[in-house]
Parts: sequence; C-alpha cells; structure tokens
Amino acid sequence: MGLRRASLCFLTALTLPSPALAYEAEVSATSDAQFYTLRSPWGDPVVRRRRYTQSLALHVTDIQGDYVPFGPQLSFKARLRLDADFGKEGYERDPNLPGTFVPGLEQSPVDVMYAYLEGRNYLGGWVGFRAGRQYVTDALGWWSFDGGLVRLTTPAYFQVEAYAGYEQRGGMPMLLGTERYAGDGVYRGNRDELELNQYPYFLEESKLAPAYGVAVETLGVHWVHGRLSYRKVINRDRVVVSPFPDTGDGFERVGGDRISSERLGYSLRLNEPGLGAVRGSIVYDFYNQVVSERALATDWYTTETITLGADYDYYYPTFDGDSIWNWFTHSGMTTLLGRAEWRPSRRFDVVLSGGAKLFETEGDSGSYGTVEQTGADPDRSETGRLTDALANVAGRYRWSDGSVGLRGMTEAGRRGHRVGGDVTTTQGFGNGLYDTLAIVSLYDWEDGLRPSRSATSFSYVLGGGIRPFDETRFGVEWEHATNRLVGQRYRVLATLDLTVLR
Amino acid sequence: MTRLAWLLAVTCLLALGLGLGADSALADAKGAAPATTGPRPVHGLAPLPGDAPVPLADRPPGAFTGDGGPSPIIFPPQQLTVRFNHKKHVKELSLTCTTCHERAKTSTESRDSLLPKPTRCDACHGSDHRDLGAVKTDDDALISQCGFCHIGYQPGDGNKVARLVVPRPNLKMNHAAHVKRNIACSQCHGAVEKLELATRDQLPRMRGCFACHQMPGPARGEARGDCVNCHLTERGGVMKTRFDTGLLKPPQWLHDSGHGPDWIERHKQVAGNDSRMCSSCHQERFCTDCHDGRVRPRKVHPNDWISMHPTAARQNNPSCTSCHRQQTFCVSCHQRAGVSMSGPYANYSGRGRFHPPPSVWSSPPRSSQHHAWEAQRNMNACVSCHVERDCATCHAKVRRGGRGFGPDAPAGVGDSGFGGQGVNPHPRNFRDRCAGALRGNARPCLVCHDPRDPQLTECR
Repeated sequence: MGLRRASLCFLTALTLPSPALAYEAEVSATSDAQFYTLRSPWGDPVVRRRRYTQSLALHVTDIQGDYVPFGPQLSFKARLRLDADFGKEGYERDPNLPGTFVPGLEQSPVDVMYAYLEGRNYLGGWVGFRAGRQYVTDALGWWSFDGGLVRLTTPAYFQVEAYAGYEQRGGMPMLLGTERYAGDGVYRGNRDELELNQYPYFLEESKLAPAYGVAVETLGVHWVHGRLSYRKVINRDRVVVSPFPDTGDGFERVGGDRISSERLGYSLRLNEPGLGAVRGSIVYDFYNQVVSERALATDWYTTETITLGADYDYYYPTFDGDSIWNWFTHSGMTTLLGRAEWRPSRRFDVVLSGGAKLFETEGDSGSYGTVEQTGADPDRSETGRLTDALANVAGRYRWSDGSVGLRGMTEAGRRGHRVGGDVTTTQGFGNGLYDTLAIVSLYDWEDGLRPSRSATSFSYVLGGGIRPFDETRFGVEWEHATNRLVGQRYRVLATLDLTVLR
Repeated sequence: MTRLAWLLAVTCLLALGLGLGADSALADAKGAAPATTGPRPVHGLAPLPGDAPVPLADRPPGAFTGDGGPSPIIFPPQQLTVRFNHKKHVKELSLTCTTCHERAKTSTESRDSLLPKPTRCDACHGSDHRDLGAVKTDDDALISQCGFCHIGYQPGDGNKVARLVVPRPNLKMNHAAHVKRNIACSQCHGAVEKLELATRDQLPRMRGCFACHQMPGPARGEARGDCVNCHLTERGGVMKTRFDTGLLKPPQWLHDSGHGPDWIERHKQVAGNDSRMCSSCHQERFCTDCHDGRVRPRKVHPNDWISMHPTAARQNNPSCTSCHRQQTFCVSCHQRAGVSMSGPYANYSGRGRFHPPPSVWSSPPRSSQHHAWEAQRNMNACVSCHVERDCATCHAKVRRGGRGFGPDAPAGVGDSGFGGQGVNPHPRNFRDRCAGALRGNARPCLVCHDPRDPQLTECR
C-alpha cells in the first residue's frame, strides 16, 4: 500500500505543471546496417562484414535562459557511437589462437565522438569557450581532444584561441575514445589479454597524451582570412621498444614525456569578388624538422560563369613521434593541377582539371639497379622523379527534386593507371516523401607492380528512402559490383535517421 | 582504355546537352509575359521602357552583370500583377519611398509586408479600395480604372484582379534598425527612383550587405558579419539551408567557397583556413560522416572501391590519411584478410605473395621496382599494411628484445627466416636532424639502435 502511495506521489509530481524552460533539446539517433563480404586476393580467408553502427546525439541550446541577440549563449552537444561488426569471429579475437588472432580487434567498440559545453558572447562578446571532447580544424588537420578551449574576440579584427587537454586516444580511461585522432605510424591497442611476449609489435594503447595549442586568427574582414596555429602533443606512456619477442634479456621500455607531434601551421585566403582568390597554407613539423605540407591555390573569376585556377599541393608524410617511419627515407609528393569551372546557370555546372603528381626518390631508380649494392650506404646524391598524369571531370545538373551528376577521373603513370567514372542520379517523389538513387560506375585499373591485380569493374547502386516525418528517414541501398578479381560482390546498406525528441 | 575514354566523353557531352537544353527551356518560361488584352500599357511593366537592361549603377550594391538577380533560394520568385512607375512617382510627383512604403520605418521582421495597402493609392488615383469586395473607381479618370494598374484586368472582371505574389524572403531583416541608422533605401535597393517597375532584381545582394556587415563582434554594434546575423537559423544556431525553393549554398566569391562539383576535393583548404565559417551551416556530424565515419561515403569513394583501393592508395595516399588512421583502420582489416606481413595469415599455406618476387622487391641489387623506391615515393602505402617489425627485421642495427637480424645478430636467431641486411634506411640529410630527433623522442631510435651505439652518441 505504501509503495503504491509513493508511486502515486511520484507520478503526480512528474505530471505537475512546471515553469517553461528557455532551453531547447534535441535527441537524434542514426542506425546503419551494412552487409558485405571481402575476400583475400588469394581467395581465403573470407572476411564477412555484418556491421551495425548506432549513434545517439543530444543537443541542448539556450541553457543560459532566453535567447538575446548577441548576448551570452550556452549550449551542450554530445554524440555517442556504437560500431559493431558481428562478422568479427570469436577465433579472430582469441589470443590463444595465434593462427587466426588479429590484435586489437573489438567486436562492438563504443566511443564518445564529442561531448562539450560551449559558451559564446560572454563578457560583452569578448569571450567564448568550450569544455569537453571537441574538434579543432585548421591547417594542422582535423583533430580531437578532451579539455578546454578559450577564445578571445577582439575589436581589432583578430581573435586569439588557446586550448589544453588530452588528445583523444583509444586507451583513455573511462572516456571511450578512438585511435582515429592519434598520430599514425604506431600499431597499438588494447593488450589486456595478451602476455608480454605475445605480439610485442602491437603496443599498449596510449592513455593520457597531454596536448596544448594556440591560434591567432583574423576576424570580420571578408576579403582576407588567416590563421596561425601551433600545437604540441606529448607521449607519456611507457612503451616497449623492441617489436620482437623477448628471448631472455627482458623488454626495454621508454617512458617520460616525449614528442608525439609538434607543428606550426599557417593558412591564408585573399579574395576579391570581382577578380579571384588566392589560398595558401604551410605546416612545419618541429619533430621531423621539415615542412610537411604546403599548398597554394589560385582562382581567377574569368567571367561571371567561368573560373580558371591552378593548384599546387605538397605533402610529406609524418608520423607519431614514437614511430620509426619518421626516420625512414621518404619523400613528399607534389600535385600540380590546372582547373576550369563553368557555371552557365544555377542548375548546371561542370569542372575540368588536369595536371601531374610528382614522386621523388633519393637516387635514380632507373639507373641505380645497375650497381651492385650489398649493404653499403648507397649513393643517393641524385634525385629520381616519377610523374603520374591526372585528369578529372565533374559535372551536375539539378532540378527541383532531383539531380544527375557525372564524375570521371584518370591517373596514369609508369606504375599503372586508374581510369573511369560514374553517373549518379537522384529523384524525389511525393513532395519529398520518397527519394531514389541510382549510380552506375565503370572503372579500369592496372597495377604496374602486380599485373595480376589489374581489372575492369562495372558496378551499380540502387537505393531509395522514405521520410515519414521531418528529419526521419529510412533508406536502403543495394550495390552490385562485378570484376574478374572477385566475380560478383554485393553490399546491402540500411539506414534509419530519427529525431526522437525536441 | 580508348573505348572507356570515348564512353566518358560521350557521357560528358550528353550531360552538357541536357543541362543547356533544360536551361534554355527555363529561360523561355521566365521570359513569357502575362497575357493581356486591350490597349497595351507603355510604362510600369518593366524596370525600364522596352524592358531595357537596368544600368549596373542603378542596381543594388553588389549586383553584377549576368548575376541572374538575387538568390532565388533567399528571395523566391514573385508574381507582379500590377504595373507601377516608380520614376514618375518619385521624380515627377516628388513622393518619397516611405510615402507609400511607410511600414519600412517600423518593420522589424522580414515577414512584414512592406507593400503599400491599396488604399494608399486612392488619394491620388480617385479610387476607393476600402472594401476590396466592392472597389469604387472614378469613371471619368483613366488613372482610376482598375486596368490602369492591374495587369490583365478586363472591364467585365468586376473586383477580380490577378493575384500579386511577393513571398516572404528566407532571411532575417529589420528595416527599422536600418532606418534608425539613416541608411537610405538606395543603399540596399539601388536607384529605384530611376526605374519604373521594381522587380526582384532590386532586392539586396549579399555582396552589398558586406559594405557594412564585416566588422568583428564586440566593437561594431549589430552590423556583424556573422552569417546568422541575417540568415535564418535552425535549432542550435546553425544556418537553415534547406528551403522549399532549394538548397542554399555559398556563392563562389564568398571566401572562395563555391560548392562546385569538385568541392569534395577542394574543401580542405577552405575548411582549414576558416572552419568557423563552415560551422555556420554544418554541424559536426556533417564532417564526421566522412572524416570519422563508419559508412563509406559515396561522394568520396566510387562503387567497387574495395577492389580498386590498392591502386588508388599507392597513387594518391595523402587523401587516405585525411580520414583513415592507417595503423588502426587499414592494418586491422588487412590482417583479417591476410594482406599483411605480420598477422595471422602471414605464413598461411594458401597465401600468395602480394609484392613482386624477392629478387625484384627486396634482394640486392636494387631493381627499378625495389621496395626502397616505393617506400620513398609513398611511405603511407607501406604503413597501411606493415607494422614496425616488418621493417625492423632487416633495418634494425642491433639485436634488441631478444631478436636481431642486424650485422651483430647471432646466426639462426629469429622467427621469420629473413636475413639481416643492416641497410641504413635514413635519408641523406639525417645527420643534420638526428640530434633533434633523439632529443624529442628517442623511442624510434632505440627500436633499431643500442643506446650505446656510437652512431647514437654522435647524434647526442
């Protein structure tokens, strides 16, 4: 009786009218199911992918109270994700089965993609902040960390941003992170079930990697925008040095603070609406002591419907400071492209681009092989160059409830080629209630190093969806590809997007 | 190859023809004038007599030749069924804009209709629009007749006139705030007083707005340049971009961010330069769907990508690293599929050789297809399959952790059967950089070198 009364009181309390709240909340969910199968180039093993991805997001705005234009605003955003693959077999995850075990394979990892509290326009509009797991995007790349960021907006056409915290990494205790944002070049993950001598090349996943950065950015002027950013990430975990099993001498480890990455980047855009634009960026890697990226792009708005441009891009691979590959000889690759865009109407536009990609080596690969090299440090004074030719075309025509698009590309050089294209059409029906998709592709590729892996592929995708309510969509896609390497391959994708609460 | 190239060329031409054909059809439809009967009025049917083009100086600030008018997404098409001569009213009759558009002085929202009420015309035109069900006219005055202003009106139509449609713009607009700051109508709408009919073309251009709206936040009052200052927003404060009239995208000249057909390949520079501008319209999910996604984005990877990706990765690897961490995403799958030197299927009996034969790929002398060249050209391609052990097996200089195939390794030690070459993998200017490398992070050095290695001492 007492329990019933208590329940009644509780329910009554829940249903009592409460004062109106200023904030708005939205809960959305996405579900994706994918089914397909991959086969080793030698036919076996066969990898079955039975993937189910679920994300759940919460977004609360105007936590501060009633919205006032240009006044303080406080919001909270978070997204949680489950990425399950039920095709991952038990024998692949059992370390006692070395013939089939794959280190680091988790069947259903969960991660918090982002979760942060954001404030804007505080202290008269001068101060903004973020606290929690968040992204930073600039010339240094797309990156995520857990911590705090403060942004100072000045009336002098620039703002200053400073942040500190921990890089998002897979091993962060209780924080459900992924390795996606950690520096590359080190194979690591959860070693909880592994002995020291099992898979020593698979390092213990890193936990807390302190990171901090600062950026100065122009603001408010539309014809110019520049951002100077500096960021440093520190490895702090003790990790095994040798990737080989111990034969009695014991494992050596390194620990203490050491650089994971330390980079300075600057990007600049200048544009004049009646003339064109220039965009450039440069990144200097302090650990590798090299310029790891530089780019320059120019666009000339030749007429109101035609834009001509040229792009230069240089990329030198760098890795996490723990990785040996930073110090293996390697070169940057340079891409040069000319580009023409034609927009005769709002509905139709087409772009053509073409150019070259340059690869470099220390020593000329053409002549070097004529010299017997058996362990001596080779003569690498010459620089060898290899060039691939590139060409791309992309166009689309849109109408009120549909579109057709074309994409074609080729990249060809001494080591082989890729050439092909696809045509994509979309069409809606019933005033947006239904949508359909069709993609037809034809690609041909030749692998100069492995001629047996050259093939021509024809494939198509048919898909459709229904939107029974606003921001709710259920869709299905069917993909069928055929080429001589795999015969027939099928893939099914089902998606469900829901906004369940506002 | 040739056939494929022809196929692509023909498809391009078809798409182009389709686009041009549809555009000309659209232009024809747009140019069709409403059917009228009776004496054809001369004035007030177009901005200038004979539908002559409006000089650029008289169009709104920010307009340019051939711009096609303001965005049809922001300002949906109108249906103007009244002829009107602004020039006559302003220049000859000395009326001001607010004589008729008086609500412009007090309007704070874009949904407010600023068109004058029909009764505003009555004082001069001798008509009486107070009861729209029974509009009275002065039969003796031509300017009082319904057909004088209402296009297509026939004497037998009674009170029925064609409907005037001026949809509300998809924009925030506070006319009162602008009037309060003494901003003249022409500063946004151009020289309407020189025109007869004011059409959509006299509506403001975003480029013109930036004459004032490009000031940083705290110091410049409300004339901010933030997108959401003028554009409609959705929950969370991001710009609303989907309208019945279409999808709103930035124009080419705005931060050089025209979302053309190859935008997916070009957005990196713009986003890296000013990601806050991107976040005006895009929530995090839009970016993470590709950059941290779990479903293959079709805009990026074409059909049958899984078959083609090895060739693509070796040709174009920087693109891979913008979304994929190789030592997690790539290696994990490659180990499952047996495409890996380390991993469960490395010594699988049915497994063939991925790379060319050892005589070409790894044994001296170096051929033009030796792995060293491939590694130098595109190190990321190696990292997407191999783990450190694969390289250290031959390149390590000293026995460490119980193994060692370097020059000082005891014969027979090892678990893979490879012989040590002890070949120096470092680049030619390595000595200039090794001190900084060792100081910053010694771990990679110690994978291959003994701490007492004289070469390490040199670097110290």
